[in-house]
Amino acid sequence: MVSFGYEAAPVPVRDDIVSAHQRAWERLRRPGSWWTGAQRIEIAAEVRNALGCDLCRERKAALSPFTLDGDHHASARALDPVAVDAVHRIVTDAARLTESWVSRIAAEGLTYGHYVELLGVVVTVLSIDEVHRGLGISFASLPEPLPGEPDRVRPDGVEKKIAWVPMLGLAAANKGPNADLYAGLPVAPNVIAAMSLVPDAVRQLEDLSAAHYLPVLQVMNPQCGGRALTRSQIELVAGRVSALNECFY
Amino acid sequence: MSSQASGREADVRAIREGAARVADSGVEHADLLVVYAEALVAHDDGAIAELRQPMIDALGAGGSLEAVTVAANFQRMVRIADATGIPQDGAMMTLVGDLADRLSLRDFASAANTPEIGWLQRMAGKALRPFSAALMTFAAKRLNAAAAKEADR
Repeated sequence: MVSFGYEAAPVPVRDDIVSAHQRAWERLRRPGSWWTGAQRIEIAAEVRNALGCDLCRERKAALSPFTLDGDHHASARALDPVAVDAVHRIVTDAARLTESWVSRIAAEGLTYGHYVELLGVVVTVLSIDEVHRGLGISFASLPEPLPGEPDRVRPDGVEKKIAWVPMLGLAAANKGPNADLYAGLPVAPNVIAAMSLVPDAVRQLEDLSAAHYLPVLQVMNPQCGGRALTRSQIELVAGRVSALNECFY
Repeated sequence: MSSQASGREADVRAIREGAARVADSGVEHADLLVVYAEALVAHDDGAIAELRQPMIDALGAGGSLEAVTVAANFQRMVRIADATGIPQDGAMMTLVGDLADRLSLRDFASAANTPEIGWLQRMAGKALRPFSAALMTFAAKRLNAAAAKEADR
């Protein structure tokens, strides 16, 4: 098991958070559905490279993020440049991503499955790194990858309907091995279903959300507060972060 | 909805307008929470460091930790939504569609992923809004009871 140490944190870090981070790092190092463990670690490393990338800084300031070409500040050796670019754009300028861009990179070889799994890795690492930033402690070292090939399993019943990528609906998920994704929910909320083309990305999302925010079933109940903050305080932080990122959802 | 559920009216404009509206928000320690969120999103490590002790003093160790993790969580969630182009869920748009207008959320590029709601949906939303917290609480409790029953089987 990969170990996380929070001894340097200014406040005690709850055990459930530590455990969730450990599980995330364990999942990260294993082969996924479309990427090897080594590639997943490279994706994770690119999340951190993106933060200091000059090309990304220039694009963010540009009227359109798609008019500037160039080389990213990147260290990935195993990743295709299209994948590196995707990581950097998601980290630094996600609000201006477009469907035509996602379709274009799919045509360039970053299939929807690759893209969704990449997204899952990016947001997991980013979120955990943000906790470290918030606590004023160094980012955790990335784990050593495990050998093995991706399983290349595409869930039965995924459809591309309302989003830019195919998703697994509630009925289709409940029929098979992915019934746990939306367990207990009467509908599949779009933000939970968004990465369902790669079901383990959803499982990772739910695991980390339960520790960082609230378990999915508690999210639906406005009377459920946090562990130490009131629900209104939690939603104020959530809402302000979302507005600053210009996220309509 | 959470403020409705707690019986304390909240002005949500602090979400969009930040510090200018925290006094009206009705949320305890809104000033600190909003400024912290802004510092984290901006990756302003200096501001984050300056806020750390005031947050611990005001919110306690557990509360300041939770503010950190919630902000971190939503730095993740916004990217999931924006990178996949998901629209806002229909039921939610019915309930809060006019909130999007009040907060000028349609100014965001990502708003293009969610169609505008029609007048009928707007009317239904207005009618349901006073009861939305109660409805959500009821639904959530039913779900939790069903999940607990399933787990016992």
